Amino acid sequence: MSEAFHPLVKQLLDGEITLAELPPELRTEGAAALRLLAAVDRTPVSLPTTLDRRVMAEVRRRGAAPLLRRAWRRLVEPREIEVRLRIRPWVAWAGALAAAAVVALLVTRLPTLQRDGRSVHVATRDSVYVRFVLYAPGAQRVAVAGTFNQWDRDAAPLMPAGTSGVWTTTLALPIGQHQYAFVVDGERWVADPAAPGVSDGFGRRNSLVAVMAQGAHTL
Amino acid sequence: MTRQPACVAFLFVASLATPLAGQDSIAVRLAGRVPPEVVRVVKELAASSARDVPVEPLVQKAIEGGAKGVPAERVVTALRELAGQLGIAAAALHEAGIERPSADVVEGGAYSLGAGLSARDVRDVARASQPPYDPAMTLRVAATLAALGVPPKATVRLVRDMISAGRAPSDLAALPGEVQADMARGATPAQAAEGLARGAGAGHAPPGRQPGWVPPGQAKPPNPHKP
Repeated sequence: MSEAFHPLVKQLLDGEITLAELPPELRTEGAAALRLLAAVDRTPVSLPTTLDRRVMAEVRRRGAAPLLRRAWRRLVEPREIEVRLRIRPWVAWAGALAAAAVVALLVTRLPTLQRDGRSVHVATRDSVYVRFVLYAPGAQRVAVAGTFNQWDRDAAPLMPAGTSGVWTTTLALPIGQHQYAFVVDGERWVADPAAPGVSDGFGRRNSLVAVMAQGAHTL
Repeated sequence: MTRQPACVAFLFVASLATPLAGQDSIAVRLAGRVPPEVVRVVKELAASSARDVPVEPLVQKAIEGGAKGVPAERVVTALRELAGQLGIAAAALHEAGIERPSADVVEGGAYSLGAGLSARDVRDVARASQPPYDPAMTLRVAATLAALGVPPKATVRLVRDMISAGRAPSDLAALPGEVQADMARGATPAQAAEGLARGAGAGHAPPGRQPGWVPPGQAKPPNPHKP
């Protein structure tokens, strides 16, 4: 509201000038402002005499809070503490180097995600993206399972590429040799016709893929 | 001096606890995936296997059998066969001069045996794999060539020729792909390997040698009758 008044009217309200000193065109506004100010209730505020007693009673009540509540407050309320360490410089340097080594280890280590207790490797410099393709017209579901995902038939589903019957997926595989097979409709294990195969020891064939730093080979 | 018995006791307990911890981890990994008798056999094989024989392939094979719904007795048979192959591979690698082969190398040897190579072939490939050739990689290549249908003798010869010609390890790794490409053009696996073996030495010299380098004492004298 104060911003609506002319600066000279504000001076009037502050008692710095009188109404007569205002320019004639501002006098009406000045008079209105003075009336508004006069309407303000200037009756002294008197606090009840019991207020002091009530405040002090509340302070004493809080001071006598149960032990648990006080302990909790001590735990959670912020407070200033002062910690003084007296160490030799080489200890500080050794600590800093150890921390740097831990950070480097965490950064360079192949990260794994735990899912249902199984490790699933994610793409890093120690893994390479490998594309799996299977032509399976009429299939409802296709997945790839192998040594890289603990032979989990649900871990790596393939997506249909349109309606052509071609199913594909791309996985990040850790460097090394892996055996795998496709799982069609959740029950039929099918070797990759585009990759060399070996006996799985159970009367079926597994396919081979070797992942190297330079890329994947059908090893 | 008084601490000595305590240290000995600690080491004894630790030496017992380590394999037991390994057994526990096998049980945990296989729990719910395979029948209990398969878990028991994997633990038995792990406990009885030699120091250099890795356990991970056995765990993987058990998990694979469980995932594929293979009956327990068949999984057990496959496990015993794989354990045997791992042991034979480790022995062949020792014969090749690799005293403490890594798990990868032993596994590569076992894959090769599973693909149809003999223990002698594994030994020969491993023996040829001097640095910079990683025996694990060369054994995998050999296993894959054999899996593609290349006869064992041709497989070993091709790998050895590539190494003796000083071809890069990445060229070696690309061999199965090249065999497959030749097969797609109509060659048999043996023909594809033969063609690659012929080309292995052409235009390539061992590391650090110029092209056209001939081992000492093997240079042919010029033929005066040849124009």
